[in-house]
Amino acid sequence: MYFSSTIETWFDLLLYLFTGYTGLYSIFGILEIIGLFLMFKKSGVKSFWAFIPFARAYQLAKCADREEEGRILTVSTFLLFLINFLGDYIESPIMALIVYFAVLALVTIVLIYEIRIYAGLVEVYKTTKLWIVAWLALGGPVAIYWGLSKKLVPSMKVEDLKKDAIDMASGRHIINKMDNGLAVGIQERTVMEFFHKKYLLRDINFYIKPGRMVLLLGGSGAGKTTLLNAIIGYEKAKADVILNGTNVYEKYRKMIYEVGFVPQQNLIRGKDTIEHTLLDTAKLRLPSNVNAKERRDRVNEVMEIFGLTPSKTHFVDKLSGGQKRRLSIAMELLSNPSLFILDEPDSGLDGVMARELMTQLRSVADQGKIVIVITHTPDRVIDLFDDVIVLAKDSHRTGRLAFFGEIDEARSFFGKDSMEKIVQSINSTSVGGEGRADEFVLKYATEQNKEVANG
Amino acid sequence: MAENSATRKIRHRGRFEQIGIYLVKFMRLFVYQNDWKVLPMAIVIAGLVSLVVRRDFFVTMEGTLKGALALSCIAIWNGFFNSIQVICREREIIKREHRSGLHISSYIVSHMIYQALLCLVQTVLTIYTCKMMGIKFPKEGLFSNWMMVDVGVTVFLISYSADMISLWISTLVHNTTTAMSIMPFILIAQLVFSGGIFQLPAWSNSISKLMISHYGVRCIAAQADYNNRPMVTAWNTLVKMENNDLEVAFTLDELMVMLNDDENDNVVKLLSTNDIGKKIKDTLKDYNVDKKVIVNAIIQVIKSDPQYEAMKDQKITIFKVKVKDVINAIGRDRVRDYLQYTTAQATQNPNYAFTEDNIARMWLAFLMVIALFATLSVVCLEFIDKDKR
Repeated sequence: MYFSSTIETWFDLLLYLFTGYTGLYSIFGILEIIGLFLMFKKSGVKSFWAFIPFARAYQLAKCADREEEGRILTVSTFLLFLINFLGDYIESPIMALIVYFAVLALVTIVLIYEIRIYAGLVEVYKTTKLWIVAWLALGGPVAIYWGLSKKLVPSMKVEDLKKDAIDMASGRHIINKMDNGLAVGIQERTVMEFFHKKYLLRDINFYIKPGRMVLLLGGSGAGKTTLLNAIIGYEKAKADVILNGTNVYEKYRKMIYEVGFVPQQNLIRGKDTIEHTLLDTAKLRLPSNVNAKERRDRVNEVMEIFGLTPSKTHFVDKLSGGQKRRLSIAMELLSNPSLFILDEPDSGLDGVMARELMTQLRSVADQGKIVIVITHTPDRVIDLFDDVIVLAKDSHRTGRLAFFGEIDEARSFFGKDSMEKIVQSINSTSVGGEGRADEFVLKYATEQNKEVANG
Repeated sequence: MAENSATRKIRHRGRFEQIGIYLVKFMRLFVYQNDWKVLPMAIVIAGLVSLVVRRDFFVTMEGTLKGALALSCIAIWNGFFNSIQVICREREIIKREHRSGLHISSYIVSHMIYQALLCLVQTVLTIYTCKMMGIKFPKEGLFSNWMMVDVGVTVFLISYSADMISLWISTLVHNTTTAMSIMPFILIAQLVFSGGIFQLPAWSNSISKLMISHYGVRCIAAQADYNNRPMVTAWNTLVKMENNDLEVAFTLDELMVMLNDDENDNVVKLLSTNDIGKKIKDTLKDYNVDKKVIVNAIIQVIKSDPQYEAMKDQKITIFKVKVKDVINAIGRDRVRDYLQYTTAQATQNPNYAFTEDNIARMWLAFLMVIALFATLSVVCLEFIDKDKR
């Protein structure tokens, strides 16, 4: 026998499963369960989770706003339990060696992730970092203290998602009557995370006419990029997205040529020239019956629009930030898409260059295209936009539609005179905002319901 | 072009045409992105390794095995370095292009063609460098009229297999740092578990069979006709020892202890051996010991002698001769040939049989590895859209 398990009897097994310890140490485990029971109440997590082995670590991580770490910690502690339980059955020296390495790795992982979760707790409870050491050294008694103390209160709560009282306007109702432009009816965009469904987006419905330039506004983590990916069908949601009468999800392979998506980063090969980059992109994106001359003409045309002709033989690596952004946009414009989406095209550009770029996008919209832009500095170019989509993270941390409409309507809806102030009003208090996301989501939904009811 | 493509039948470039687009792109990047550096690197590595193995490669069993391992390692090193970073370094770009209509299978196939060309050029450079450095390739191979071509095919297949494995790794990892951290572990595993030079414990045999180095060593050793090469280790060791004395000597006391061990077959043999028995009898002649006297009685006689205590630590040389004299007495060539032949006979390995069938099986194994990892690369990269943002 190469391993000596601490679990020798069924009682040991039950004690270990329940408390995470055996022998006298299990007292610490019992104290921890009681402490977590009290802490979960404070954080809005169902208290019974404190009694569920392994899962309580994940719930504690949720209280600490460290869900990802919680998943890894839970899996690692479960694996350690398995090794401890099955250790007596290891009879090969090689297996024992492998298992020793695994235990060493797992113990390291558990320690690191516990530190991360305790650091998260300290941040959420807004208290001193010395508590991390106390948590590591004592665990149970500290949990009891945190559970009972009236001074220690979490700054955020974890609540289970409940069905909202507001029945949102149906997306299908809007999109059925649209043959031109972009109609978006997203019921939900979810991901499965550690055996539970996490809502990233819910009830987002709007319609954009052709020729409109639309600003997508929202705080960090509100789900702006998730929304854009859902619109273009790259990350599918439970939704209907109709572009010029064609369902994007159903005809995805065809529709990818109708959508131009410019990502946040300049994802272009640095050791290729502007001309080669555009010619290769043209080969990929233009129909195969477009001959070489037409292709080259289109490339020259796009280079001219974005002022890239003088440096067409330059390597991408040697271009300025502004030139790289323009090239990245030009690549998507080559196929003349009817929907053009840009994720922070002006990041890293100064005011003059950003304005120049946005003006070029305005001229694209004026050709009858739909242009949707995410930008964190909207006010310097707001006059170029027609509409605004305001996305807000509600109290369930789900991306919700707080407003869709014209720029002036947005100002009066939120009672703010600038877009940056609108973002501030919907941002949570933890990031310096006013924390009014729920209020505006509710207000907008009520207005939409009324509109639908009135036909 | 402004019309909606969904309303009319518009064809975009299919998989085959995309292969061409990317192949040309990779060729261009080969020149501009400094990927060409792998070619001089292949020459330098081949040159360095040849310096060490050139004398005995294709000459002796030991040199052939070392050379086979060295050549396999060069090929594996080249293959790994060719492609370990190629996909992970542009993962985000691929994701963007995939979103714009790129077929992953076309992308991987164009990489396969490009990497095959790269491996081919590296193989030619490696074999040529080995030749220039003085490795004497036998003239005729099993499959072609030139052994260099046969060995070249093997080196190419090893290199390309390694290339496809690292291409697959490159599809799995998300950045070049991770790729380069994994690389040394794989290289060390390939070296240790190659099974050529290192004696492996039984449990590791199945691991060894998963290594391309294992098949590489096996294939090159077979092509070099390992089993019919002489084994020189025993002869070389003997030559190094030829000025040593071959001496059989004991102290009287040691002799007494030995003789007292009447259960020892060697003692019985020693006394019954004519020459040595005579020496013992000569030594003991002053004691009037009759040859019929039992061993125990001799011991008693000797031990009762008053001079015994003074003499007991004195050495009695039974015989003393130089190793060289023994070799010369038997005949130098005879000893060498005998040792080289008998030790080689004992070391022959059916895995290294110089047969077409054996080598073809190894080549087939490489082709299977290539196909497997190319397929895995396509499958893994198809999930690129599932990457966490």
